[in-house]
Amino acid sequence: MTVVDEVTRVGVEPLLELDTVSRVYGTGEAAVYALRDVSLRIMPGDFVSIVGPSGSGKSTMLGLLGCLDIPTSGRIIVGGKTVTGLDDAERTEVRGRTIGFVFQQFHLIPHLDATGNVETALLYRGLSRAERRLRAMSALNQVGLGRRHDHRPVQLSGGEQQRVALARALVTEPKILLADEPTGALDSQNAENVMELLTNLQSPERAVVIVTHATEVADAAYRKVSMRDGRIVNDVTRVR
Amino acid sequence: MKTFRDLLRVALTGLYARKVRTLLLLLGPMIGVAAIIAAVGLTDSAKGDLKEKVNKLGTNLIGVAASSSFGSKDPTLPQDVIARSQSVYTVTSVAEIRELSNIIVTPYKEAKDKYEAVPIPVVASDIQLPSVLKVQLISGRWLNEFDDQVVSRSAVIGIGLARQFSYLPGEVRTIELNGIRYGVVGILSEVELEPSFDNAVFIGFPSAKADFVDTKDDRILSNKLYVRSKEGSEKVTADALRVAINLGGPNQVTTDIKSEALQLAAQSDQQIKLIVVSMGILASIVGGVGIANVMSISVIQRSAEIGIRRALGHTRSIIASQFLLEALFIGLLGGICGVMLGILSIFIGATIAGWVFVLAPWLIPAGIALAMVISVVAGLYPSVRAARLEPLETLRLG
Repeated sequence: MTVVDEVTRVGVEPLLELDTVSRVYGTGEAAVYALRDVSLRIMPGDFVSIVGPSGSGKSTMLGLLGCLDIPTSGRIIVGGKTVTGLDDAERTEVRGRTIGFVFQQFHLIPHLDATGNVETALLYRGLSRAERRLRAMSALNQVGLGRRHDHRPVQLSGGEQQRVALARALVTEPKILLADEPTGALDSQNAENVMELLTNLQSPERAVVIVTHATEVADAAYRKVSMRDGRIVNDVTRVR
Repeated sequence: MKTFRDLLRVALTGLYARKVRTLLLLLGPMIGVAAIIAAVGLTDSAKGDLKEKVNKLGTNLIGVAASSSFGSKDPTLPQDVIARSQSVYTVTSVAEIRELSNIIVTPYKEAKDKYEAVPIPVVASDIQLPSVLKVQLISGRWLNEFDDQVVSRSAVIGIGLARQFSYLPGEVRTIELNGIRYGVVGILSEVELEPSFDNAVFIGFPSAKADFVDTKDDRILSNKLYVRSKEGSEKVTADALRVAINLGGPNQVTTDIKSEALQLAAQSDQQIKLIVVSMGILASIVGGVGIANVMSISVIQRSAEIGIRRALGHTRSIIASQFLLEALFIGLLGGICGVMLGILSIFIGATIAGWVFVLAPWLIPAGIALAMVISVVAGLYPSVRAARLEPLETLRLG
């Protein structure tokens, strides 16, 4: 296990922990180790970038961190609770409660306007429609899109769409914000804006985790986890 | 409850956002249901006038006639036949008549040669007959108790006879029965279940006895009864009447259910109906297959949406319910549209063919229910597929 310079603060519970996690695709001779005995702790206030060349296991890592996938072996602990043994519905519940997602391709629902897209994250939580609208609007304001709340994805630029996606991730007030190549589909100006927003979203209670292969994005983070061949090869936290 | 409201909103928004797709999905159940409704409605409407007549006249009229096994002339029913028939508890009303024979009817003496060739039935009747037959009088009145008490020479004629004699409603006229003048007091409307009455002359039992029948009895005996039974019990009643009236006596009694033939004629052609309904059901099933198809494709198209919803914390069952609810709404909408289209086709078809519009009311809920069942069954597989999608795969993490 190659965990270098891991940050461990005494008395602070990690938000998310991978404990000697492996993820194997296929079986027998065709088995491919996407992750091999990886341990990682995401602490409150972390701003982590996970970097590595393609095939290094970044995406697998993101799937596991986001409770979208289950490891072949090892444990995943979210907020002190082991999620590896949970069934799909329970994992979904944990995911909805603690994790916000931002994807490279935005993945906005095309027939809904910005508010509708943000509201989607608040559905089935027993909230009234008015309450959902209010919270969605406030999240859109937070990313500076309040005035474009009634625009549908096709009417928005790439940068704006990513900010809607960001608002959607934020609106549930997640403890962990998982971003997968958040600037991958954006031009440099928009990428800068989105990175600035992400940086600002990091707080003492929340962790922001960015999976990327873009060095300028990775460098914006305080903590940089480098991966290669399914292992963490470097984990460096720089002084803020 | 709030979850259901959220589901409902998501499903409806989804359907509304993809109008063309929704419309295409609607077509299947819609055409199927419309075909079934139109098939049943049109085959019913083709016999609609007869059905209407059956409904108006009732199916419960039984004719009872005296017949003789020994070939005696003019068999009659027993004196107390009314009381005997009323002892059958399914009987609701009874009227008796006596068909009189060998009476020459002419509108006036001078016309004797012209009308003698055509025999006109003369019937002695009690005062209940029109109410039992459910027939109205076109003009004037029916024979009444006063006529019977004073043995007045009053007669009511059938509508056919009135036409033949050029009788004008309300006109003061007499007709001659074997040369005896009777005053025409009323015209009886068409008697659908006993067409011979349209050309008959009706007089009271007492006057019939006084003028035409030579008997020592207090009154002349009837030879026919008209009986109304409780609806639906006509066969049992007819059987019971034969026993109750005959009571082991020498004279046979025959019964016949008057509306039977009419009812038979009014029955829709079951085979044609079955064929067209089967085709409609087939169309609905094909529509269902279409729904399954289009929804399956839709699940693939919307896999990213499903993935993101899953990532946002929507459970598999929520995703499945959302798709099922969409299917349910397509069924509901398709069913309603299909019913309307079906009714429209019956209306147009019936109008063009000059039929009476008939639509069994149960077809409306049944049609909508069929569309909904087919849609939901068709939506089951795509819904389960949608729920089984792995968010990680659909989101294509880079």
